[in-house]
Amino acid sequence: MSAVLGPVVTRDANAFWLRAGLWLLLAYLGVTLLLPLYALLSRSVEDAAGHFIGLANFAEYLSRPALRASLGNSLLVAGLTTLIVTATAFVYAYALTRSCIPARGAFRLVALSPLLAPSLLPAIALVYLFGRQGVIRDWLFGEPIYGPIGIVIGSCFWTFPHALTILLIALAGADGRLYEAATALGSSHWRTFRTVTLPGAKYGLISAALVTFTLTLTDFGVPKVIGGDYPVLATDVYKQVVGQQNFRMGAVVAIVLLLPALAAFILERRIGRHHSALSSRAQPYLPTPRPARDWPLFACCSLLAVALLGILGMAVYASLVRLWPYDLTLTLANYNFDLRDGGSWLAYRNSLWLATLTALAGTTLVFLGAWLCEKVPALPWLRGLIHMLALLPMAVPGLVLGIAYILFFNHPGNPLHGLYGTLAILVIATVAHFYTVGHLGAVTALRQLDPEYEAVGASLRTPAWRLLGRVTLPLCLPALLDLAMYFFVNALTTVSAVVFLYSPDTVLAAVAILNMDDAGDVAGAAAMAVMIFLTAAMVRTLYAQLSARLLRRLQPWRAGSRA
Amino acid sequence: MPMSATELPPHAPSDTHDAPRGPHPLRAPVAAATPYLRLHNLSKRFGSSVAVDDVSLDIERGEFVCILGPSGCGKTTLLRAICGLDPQSFGRIEQDGRDISQLPPAARDFGIVFQSYALFPNLTVAQNVAFGLENRRQPRAAVRSRVAELLELVGLQALAGRFPSELSGGQQQRVALARALALAPGLLLLDEPLSALDARVRVHLRHEIRALQRRLGLTTLMITHDQEEAITMADRIVVMNRGRIEQIGTPEAIYCEPATPFVAGFVGTMNFIDAEVDAIGRARIGEVALDCTVEAFPGTPVRLAVRPEDVLLSTDEDALHGIAVEVRALEFLGPVLRLTLGDAALGARVLYADLPAAQARQWGLSLGVRLMATIEPTAIRVFPHDGAGA
Repeated sequence: MSAVLGPVVTRDANAFWLRAGLWLLLAYLGVTLLLPLYALLSRSVEDAAGHFIGLANFAEYLSRPALRASLGNSLLVAGLTTLIVTATAFVYAYALTRSCIPARGAFRLVALSPLLAPSLLPAIALVYLFGRQGVIRDWLFGEPIYGPIGIVIGSCFWTFPHALTILLIALAGADGRLYEAATALGSSHWRTFRTVTLPGAKYGLISAALVTFTLTLTDFGVPKVIGGDYPVLATDVYKQVVGQQNFRMGAVVAIVLLLPALAAFILERRIGRHHSALSSRAQPYLPTPRPARDWPLFACCSLLAVALLGILGMAVYASLVRLWPYDLTLTLANYNFDLRDGGSWLAYRNSLWLATLTALAGTTLVFLGAWLCEKVPALPWLRGLIHMLALLPMAVPGLVLGIAYILFFNHPGNPLHGLYGTLAILVIATVAHFYTVGHLGAVTALRQLDPEYEAVGASLRTPAWRLLGRVTLPLCLPALLDLAMYFFVNALTTVSAVVFLYSPDTVLAAVAILNMDDAGDVAGAAAMAVMIFLTAAMVRTLYAQLSARLLRRLQPWRAGSRA
Repeated sequence: MPMSATELPPHAPSDTHDAPRGPHPLRAPVAAATPYLRLHNLSKRFGSSVAVDDVSLDIERGEFVCILGPSGCGKTTLLRAICGLDPQSFGRIEQDGRDISQLPPAARDFGIVFQSYALFPNLTVAQNVAFGLENRRQPRAAVRSRVAELLELVGLQALAGRFPSELSGGQQQRVALARALALAPGLLLLDEPLSALDARVRVHLRHEIRALQRRLGLTTLMITHDQEEAITMADRIVVMNRGRIEQIGTPEAIYCEPATPFVAGFVGTMNFIDAEVDAIGRARIGEVALDCTVEAFPGTPVRLAVRPEDVLLSTDEDALHGIAVEVRALEFLGPVLRLTLGDAALGARVLYADLPAAQARQWGLSLGVRLMATIEPTAIRVFPHDGAGA
């Protein structure tokens, strides 16, 4: 008996650990995602004493005109930003992919650079550009920058690269044969644009619009700094929770904020399903020079790039000026955070720690999770459930997640209460906040591998973990590095989820920007924003340099595949 | 137990204690005559659709069996059930007297070559082949010599240090084969192993795989949709259609005595002619009577199946037996010409016939030429008209 069953038992042990891994992952996502959100939901339907009162809190919310107004304000600001960003990002992406304008690489770099800055940075720059003592305040014809105008401009700055990335992908995947056919049939450029280009980019446009809308709606940094007394949902949540310690109403506003984000997310997923990949026979589209198209596009791109650089440059300049606008001598004094009210180098160091730990923990967790979901043949319903859970964070704004974490982890009855106020909870929250994009990236990388590797491994009686270590991980190394980079940069720049979760010991750079700005030290805030930007940019550059060299060194077979 | 341990591959179970000792209706006691691989009433359902429907099949030790069928016929599903990758919904699989139906893939004893080869691109040829050996905690030297042996077997010793991306398709295929053979499996499974290759390499590798299989005496099951591949390589062919086995037989039997119209049409080219029974031993096509083996009431509609090469042609218009026809179309196929023949007496029916190109040249064949076609009664297969099998 033993000779026959012997090997089977060890295989079952192997399968046991894989199943255990799936259950553990479910438990982890349950604790860091589902239970906090449940705590948020249940608090929104309770009274102050903890009794269930149905939707009475929501009725109270609607009865307060001030809160109701901010819902309208939020939708207006997000709608305007979406219109502007989708249109300009489309032109920009079109110029980069479908024309022959010069310096496309530089244009791409400039447009993507806001990804490396916290959303607070453009808001601070706007204060210096259009504020009461702003350089070009006359351009607003007397309108104040503090309010909807500032929020829209600031939001446009930092959401632009997000929309651009989606549109670049949508426009890059063009089938050259369609354009050849259109030309052969004598179609005009304009008609080809309307009948081939636009329909091809339709889903990309909708997706970019939805993403921009959600990002703007749920962003907290820009309206906090430049919103003045123009209330929006995101600042309401902050005011209720941090200002008034009213968690009940905070939870209600958070859910009001969650609903449109959830709707946009579901819509985006449904549309994404229709978005069919190009056929493998598609020929790449190669644009040919056409001055009538290229020069106007070049002008548009230059204008946008100058605007982006202007905002970025203003922040840098502001951080170096001694006393705006009276003493314009340059100094590094603003960077002496330890002497400033609300900021400290501790915050910067904490941010670096948070980014590093998030990159390590997030990459490990997300990749292993995606691997379990994709490559383990057991428990299909559980894998499906985990996959759905992994998509959830995309729909949950950071502020909402932050409140949910307070309500869940800060509850005295929670055995994990001890995590509250530590760096660990910041890491957990940040990983959860950015889980979806990481998960989808890892799933994509895993799906590009030959699905038969696992079958071959099994036929060679190789345990799953060995195949993972020897083949799957090396093949996915570039994706893993990208994943780590994604977590690092986002952990460095994010403010929304962590603003509720930091303690004096774990204060973060992005939070320090807020605190300095609150304390009236806008120059210090600018300096800290620039520090974050520079750090992210440096790490990003180093990464680009090192990863190429690392891959060449460690993975010579990649060179072979290109030969 | 009656089987000697020395006959088994080194890692196969050396005893079979778990086989039931009592008489079992489906399970004969293990004996030398027992087929190596037995599929009993195997079915696989995906939701409401049935991919494999009650398939039973015995494969002898050392036999090369091809499962042949169009895409979607269930052949890949069947293979994945045998591997344990997608376990069957019903039925039982026995390998070497052992019930493996419920075992996970890693506990079964097979080597597999996929259509994509699934070579690990980050490992060299030698590392790919050694992949399965390195789990066995064998000394490095033993692994190295086994790898060398396997690479020699497939003629790739010189390329041991290359990466898969540096190899041609045919070389990659051989690496996959060597890797599949590394653990000396009792059963080799080939999933469309040649269809990603150029026609010339394909023909060459057919012979090579077959020779290797004979040399190792390895029980092999190959999945293919290419009838030529199946006919040239297999000891026996299993033709599948819509999840069911249509026919099992030697290549010759499949070609010459197709059991069903599906097999007749799928393997090789076939004339299907609607006819009706005239008398015992004679069918009528339109106004033409034809001798054939048929026993049914006169007037029963039937379908006659005739290979184009079995339609014999002559220019002798006065021949006594035969069908007078006119050449309506000519298709040049290289060594032969395929003629489309018709006549007022046949109605709308046409008959395809193959004629050696040299013969056609000699006759100065062109459109409109009248010929006599004769068909030997033994060359005609008669199927019921509803097409449900002979």
